[in-house]
Amino acid sequence: MNVLKKLVNVLDKVQKPSRYIGGEYNSVRKKDSKINLCLVFPDLYDVGMSHFGMSILYDVVNSSSFASCERAYLPWLDMQEEMKKEGIPLYSLESYRPLDKFDVIGFTLQYEMSYPNVLRALKLANIPIHRNERDDTYPIVIAGGPCTVNPAPMEEFIDAFFVGDGEEGIIEMLKIINEGGNKRHKLEKLSTIQGVYVPGISEKASKRFVSRMPNAPTAQIVPYTNTIHDRGVVEILRGCTHGCRFCQAGMIYRPVRERSYQEIVDLSRKIVKFTGYEEISLLSLSSADHSQIKELMSHLKEIKNVSFSIPSTRVDALSVELANAVSGVRKSGITLAPEAGSQRLMDVINKGITEEQIFEALKHAKNSGWSRIKLYFMLGLPTESDEDVMAIGEMLQKVKKMGFKNVSATLGVFVPKPHTPFQFASQIEPEEAYRRYKLISWAHKYAKINFTDPRKALIEGVLSRGDSSIGKVIEKAEKKNLVFPDWNETFNPDEWMKIFEEENVNLKRISASKDVKDVFPWDKIDVGVLKGYLWLEYQKALKGTLTQDCRNGCTGCGVCQRFGVKNVLAGRKAPDPLKVSVEKVSGEGI
Amino acid sequence: MNQIKYLFHYKKYGMLRYLSHLETMKMIDRALRRTGIELKQTEGFHQRTKISFAQALPTGIIDLAGLFVVTTFEEIDVSRLKEANKLCPRGCEFVKAEKVDEKFKLSRFVDGYEFKLIFLKEPEDASFDIEKKGEIWIARIFRSFNSSIPKNGEYGQFLTIRSQAITGGAN
Repeated sequence: MNVLKKLVNVLDKVQKPSRYIGGEYNSVRKKDSKINLCLVFPDLYDVGMSHFGMSILYDVVNSSSFASCERAYLPWLDMQEEMKKEGIPLYSLESYRPLDKFDVIGFTLQYEMSYPNVLRALKLANIPIHRNERDDTYPIVIAGGPCTVNPAPMEEFIDAFFVGDGEEGIIEMLKIINEGGNKRHKLEKLSTIQGVYVPGISEKASKRFVSRMPNAPTAQIVPYTNTIHDRGVVEILRGCTHGCRFCQAGMIYRPVRERSYQEIVDLSRKIVKFTGYEEISLLSLSSADHSQIKELMSHLKEIKNVSFSIPSTRVDALSVELANAVSGVRKSGITLAPEAGSQRLMDVINKGITEEQIFEALKHAKNSGWSRIKLYFMLGLPTESDEDVMAIGEMLQKVKKMGFKNVSATLGVFVPKPHTPFQFASQIEPEEAYRRYKLISWAHKYAKINFTDPRKALIEGVLSRGDSSIGKVIEKAEKKNLVFPDWNETFNPDEWMKIFEEENVNLKRISASKDVKDVFPWDKIDVGVLKGYLWLEYQKALKGTLTQDCRNGCTGCGVCQRFGVKNVLAGRKAPDPLKVSVEKVSGEGI
Repeated sequence: MNQIKYLFHYKKYGMLRYLSHLETMKMIDRALRRTGIELKQTEGFHQRTKISFAQALPTGIIDLAGLFVVTTFEEIDVSRLKEANKLCPRGCEFVKAEKVDEKFKLSRFVDGYEFKLIFLKEPEDASFDIEKKGEIWIARIFRSFNSSIPKNGEYGQFLTIRSQAITGGAN
């Protein structure tokens, strides 16, 4: 199959052909490897190329002596059609090889809404979607990323899931697959690796941890296409310990591991040199937390001809200060996420911030010259009352009256996620979401309010907390061409609702609140944080009691004690984990 | 510091013909940045090299006659250009960089372009200057600067090449 030859016939007919041409600067075409992996981001190139995790694994595998790593993304619908017409299978962007010619296909599951895209990618590659239909002649299909903390909905399709930090695990997996044997044999051996969950073989699996920040890629691939985040990336810290009770990333990426400012500066210089990027993003879940952030900002100024950006979402003065530092004179828009409108509800979610601090930060932003402000809120958080919803409107009114020229707010419906304290909480139904949204329709005159379709949250909720029976829904969604469900132009909620009905999905049961004694589909994955701890946190939430950030003192979530890791701060010593006997925190007790 | 204005000649072929004009500009800017040659930047906070390109090409056309102008703070000799070419993705090549006057303007320098249209069967339009080469027919057409460019497939051609810039104008 000569993919390249056939591509010439289609690339003139599609939008943005640069997504499909491959061969980007710094992409690696490694020949004569013993084992070949193709990583697939199940969404459009523009999105997938903006994802740093794949960039890390690409570098790790291609630096190994025995394995190669290539990439593929899901082509947009116009390209899919042309490929079908021309008989072009999904191919890699390095060697233009059809995906079924690889030994291993690795999907990254970053968000649940990409599940139908995974199946579409397999179909475009002429690979059977069900794992039990794939014999030894097909590649082994693995998946990683945050969604693997509940593998149930996708377990009919994936041969092996990898949960946690992948830098070491991916090499171990490739080594085992390279040793040979039949598929069953390989999968059995894979299931012995920490972090790997093999459906049908593993009963349980624990998350994999790297104890400190690993080496980072500097010769990062430079796309031609204008991707969503078209810039270099330095991951300055991993994990977040604020303990916001809705946040899955804050629970499953513990503990915090910081990179020293010297290393960040060094990486930044190298990235500029190797890529020619004019902008570098300092990636983390919460950049203002870095214990050396002040030193870092002053040293980054020494790097010429490049600007820095920070995906900052916390609402405090320091975050505004950081935004000031990286934005220079051109202060266009600043994005802050209070998540809730009232102090009471902020305490329920353990945001760890007071309304006073928020307005102090806003005042600071105003005085620093920011004129456009964007605020993120969630609707339907546990215990939310109509007063709490009204408080969102009141906050917007207050913000507008502070003199910001342009205030916008994005309102999303809260989706409870596995392995968070709110995994026990109920999710509000779309009708109820609309009712609450209408409570603040008066606030439209103060801010442009974007309300995300609550049916999207419903679907996301089903895919997040669903069990293995949801696989049928995903399969049907792909068949009905409901791919790219995260894109507004392709999102078709009515069709999804129809599928839920046809497949007898018990929406009420999935959305309902849960008890600690309930068995969850994701209980078989141990991410480190104990279920009992999550339950206690949920109880504290219902009472509005705060839990401190564990960088100020261990809160006993169990991760450090059970997996021999701890918070690694670059600028100071982190407090030691509480000495609790392992039996006590084994997860069986509470 | 001494500023020197350079006129770069470049080629863009292979898969890179599928880049849009904006993507081409960005690709070249980043390739130049990788060389470490100190280039004059645009004003404003966001970092951009000050580059002026000659006439944009529609996506899909092979370019053997690309031109742009940058201002540097150092000399670019042949060996420097060779190094720069190693930092380009496959399908992009700097052919030469020549010093030009400070007042140099691309719009005055370029009179127009010659295009080659490649046909897999004999073209119907008899007004072309056509040459048969083995299994293909090559038609040459001239377009003056900033006039419309033959789009891919417009005349039923298989491939379009911007083959050379016709210069020698008023500069």
